[in-house]
Amino acid sequence: MLLSVKEASVYFGKVSGIRDVSIDVEEGQIVALIGANGAGKSTTLRAISGLKQPSSGEIWFKGERIDDLSPEEITMRGIAHVPEGRRVFPYMTVKENLEMGAFSRKDKAGIARDLEGVFRHFPRLRERLTQAAGTMSGGEQQMLAMGRALMSDPTVVLMDEPSLGLSPILCQEIAKIIKEIHAEGRTVVLVEQNARLALSLAQKGYVLETGSVVLEDDAKALLENDKVRETYLGGSD
Amino acid sequence: MDWPTFIQSISNAVILGSIYATVAVGLALAFGVMQMANFAHGEFFMAGAYVVYVFYALGGMPFPAAVISAFPVVAALGVVTERFVFRPTRGNVLAGFMATAGVAFILQVIVGQVWGVGLMRSVPTPYMGAASILGAQVSWQRLIILPSTLVMVGGLWFFLHRVKLGKALRACAQDVEAASLQGININKITALSMAISGGFAGVAGALMAPINAVTPYMGHSIIVTAFIVVIVGGMASIEGSILAAFILGFIHTFVTTLFDAVLATMAGVAFMAIILVVKPTGLLGRVRM
Ligand SMILES: Nc1ncnc2c1ncn2[C@@H]1O[C@H](COP(=O)(O)OP(=O)(O)OP(=O)(O)O)[C@@H](O)[C@H]1O
Ligand SMILES: [Mg+2]
Repeated sequence: MLLSVKEASVYFGKVSGIRDVSIDVEEGQIVALIGANGAGKSTTLRAISGLKQPSSGEIWFKGERIDDLSPEEITMRGIAHVPEGRRVFPYMTVKENLEMGAFSRKDKAGIARDLEGVFRHFPRLRERLTQAAGTMSGGEQQMLAMGRALMSDPTVVLMDEPSLGLSPILCQEIAKIIKEIHAEGRTVVLVEQNARLALSLAQKGYVLETGSVVLEDDAKALLENDKVRETYLGGSD
Repeated sequence: MDWPTFIQSISNAVILGSIYATVAVGLALAFGVMQMANFAHGEFFMAGAYVVYVFYALGGMPFPAAVISAFPVVAALGVVTERFVFRPTRGNVLAGFMATAGVAFILQVIVGQVWGVGLMRSVPTPYMGAASILGAQVSWQRLIILPSTLVMVGGLWFFLHRVKLGKALRACAQDVEAASLQGININKITALSMAISGGFAGVAGALMAPINAVTPYMGHSIIVTAFIVVIVGGMASIEGSILAAFILGFIHTFVTTLFDAVLATMAGVAFMAIILVVKPTGLLGRVRM
């Protein structure tokens, strides 16, 4: 298993964000985490990337325990996190944002190659290199946040609601790019409220409810699951 | 006001603005990265003046070397303050305020114990004479402040906008969490910001040592102005702080020349109050680093 969350719980004071969540991600998979507002999707990703240490449980990556590492150490080991709400550096240019994505790398040739790769996925970014990130549209900022994550040449990309607030056309565009990123050999953990989008891309899916995993199955099976269809896919269409 | 007095006041204002800018830029930088105000920043200024007093006046080191030494010495003070005061209180503004106010007090006491309290520490003027500028006489001692400020502020701009580590510092000021997700070590960057911040205050104090009375309490006068400048400038904006520093330099100089120093201080505070009402986000808006 490339990445495993083992019975992880995260508390904010007395309030629990997630309880005993276990998630397994195999190399080369797209794994979807779906669930309603406050279900604990972002908290799970934040625990993996080290932004919030779990109070119990373990997180393993490439055969090593990572739950006591800092976010920068986890990033350097190959996990990139595209956070909820994009979180680009608003007063930095597109170019500077991408440069920050490669902050801990020293291989100039590799960085140049990955920058070209980002431009292939997101041609728009090449045209906007000197624009301040904060002045870009929501869709463009999402592309920049994804591009920035790819600049660390990650093994795993954690994506938190990349489709949030985007038009249906842009959602399709983002879906296409997630497929491309996956086709490059990267593993993707995709958090989405748009369950249909996430499950149609993923091989495997987890359903979270009030901080716990209530269902896990092949993504196809979840798309057929009555409960999932009723609760997350907008009835039986 | 006659012509020579007018020119004299303008040159005084520019030089005073330069000192304000050097001190305030450091304060704004540290605030930008940590979101915490360093109330010991005035004492960093004082420490820089004492570096010149000890190295140059007592130790016989050449004045420029003593001024340059103030940077690493006070930068180290900044790093220690970050490690033992700001890091443990991170995110708790009140605790940070209390703790840095404590650091200010401790530095005053230490310096007072070692070099005496209440004595005007006179630092001999290394550069005698004055330059004649459009009929006004500006002492060389004051005039060298101008290029020093230009070099420091220019150097800082270059570092923040052209060097990867400097860009990472800006990234932290804009979004700490996102910065940590890029593999940027937040503790290192915070320490770096406090080193630069301390170094700037130290060099400003060092440059003022032969001009001001060097006492353990000389930080008091500068810290109030530095905070006004940073607030008017938009808290975490380097550009805003520089602009505000020169405006304050002009207000203080001209009101002092025409009326008196007390009124000048009041005018500065009134200026801040007006800006806070008219443009609460600071002169240039929330332009962050
Ligand atoms: N910083 C925090 N402090 C306190 N409670 C928090 C914090 N972050 C998350 N929580 C709580 O943890 C629970 C899970 O939140 P989380 O953000 O993981 O949900 P989510 O599934 O990502 O929801 P959404 O779809 O709205 O983004 C919620 O009850 C939330 O209120
Ligand atoms: Mg969320």
